[in-house]
Amino acid sequence: MWVSVLTAIAEQAVNRLLTLEPNLAADLQGAAHNVLALTLTDLNLSCALHYNGEYCFVYGNYHDDADCHITTSVDCLGELKDPSQLTRLIRSGKLDLEGDLHLAQLYSKAFGNLNIDWAEHLSRYLGDAGAEHLVSSVKACNNKAQLHKKSYQQVMTQLCQDELNVTIHPLELQQFKAQTRALSSQLAALEQRINALTD
Amino acid sequence: MKEENRDTTHFGYKTVESTQKESLVADVFHSVAAKYDIMNDFLSFGIHRLWKRQTVACAGVRKGHRVLDLAGGTGDLTAKFSQLVGDTGQVILGDINDSMLKVGRDKLRDLGLVNNIEYVQMNAQALPFPDNSLDVITIAFGLRNVTDKDEALRSMYRVLKPGGRLLVLEFSKTDNEALSKLYDFYSFNILPNVGKIVANDSESYRYLAESIRMHPDQETLKGMMENAGFEQTSYQNFTGGIVALHRGFKY
Repeated sequence: MWVSVLTAIAEQAVNRLLTLEPNLAADLQGAAHNVLALTLTDLNLSCALHYNGEYCFVYGNYHDDADCHITTSVDCLGELKDPSQLTRLIRSGKLDLEGDLHLAQLYSKAFGNLNIDWAEHLSRYLGDAGAEHLVSSVKACNNKAQLHKKSYQQVMTQLCQDELNVTIHPLELQQFKAQTRALSSQLAALEQRINALTD
Repeated sequence: MKEENRDTTHFGYKTVESTQKESLVADVFHSVAAKYDIMNDFLSFGIHRLWKRQTVACAGVRKGHRVLDLAGGTGDLTAKFSQLVGDTGQVILGDINDSMLKVGRDKLRDLGLVNNIEYVQMNAQALPFPDNSLDVITIAFGLRNVTDKDEALRSMYRVLKPGGRLLVLEFSKTDNEALSKLYDFYSFNILPNVGKIVANDSESYRYLAESIRMHPDQETLKGMMENAGFEQTSYQNFTGGIVALHRGFKY
């Protein structure tokens, strides 16, 4: 049931966007009365978008026929915003697409082109100054979060690399053992030879 | 759930003459029609909207389809289907009760949905449509009030086009013991009292609780659909089985 709650929220959000951004509605006109299904394999979640020319329905647990069905992972979702990436993702096996590629590109382009002027929309409730301050604060927080994320990623990468340097590969261990055994047998042979000479 | 015999049937926990049930059910819905929507939200805590959302998602309704929202009451599903079928499609809001139809018609007109909706008073057991004429039929929280459910399912099968589908959204049986006890307490103690306070009608809401208990469980209803001719029948439980959505196709 939580899927229905999430899709209900998503539906409200998408339709709010459609009223706030007339360009989005214009970009989606070509998708009217077509169904775009999306399956996220890592979340085991299937949903669908059904735009009727005015309103966008978001379905959860969708397992019906669709004009275009995309199967991918959450990580690739961000890349779907760029229509030119679709073919690359399909070739690299990160995305499976059945049906009308044009429909996927249309949605990708429509949502990729979104450039919401949040300050403008919020100014009705908060006033110009308040809205501008809120939006710039959120942007600053977002930038800071991105910096921290990048920094943590670098630290983690460094840690992994350091760890790689102090641990050896199993093959190296096997080679070391073989060399040690050879040295040991050579030493034993030398010991026998010395014993034979001294006796 | 089998009927007692050919001449009697259940009305809640009572056994009544088959010919009486329609008028008894009609009295219930005449009584609750005006406050039906608000009571639905109140008594289900709004969850009925999520159940209906999933029904729309499973209906596969597309532009140009002809859809029957049977026992459609106040038109929650009709409103969605009307937007999906577009100008070339048609949605028929059918109900046996004229009070419910009037409430539904007023509500949908207030929403500006007028172009592709027809309102027809009809009996689910004898649908007034030619054979193979509808793409999708839904019946949400209505089948348990029908006197002869098997006959109604056969009638729905007859009017569906090959490839068409039936969706039955209805209260069902939960197999969770704790939830079942809580649900029983709510149904027989809280629900009639809330009905009395909000709608000034406790008897109708007592009937609601009793009729739910007398309705066939998930597997039985699935079997009834198969007996009527439906194929690829399946069901999904909502809210622990308190409600189930059955789906079947005609090929």
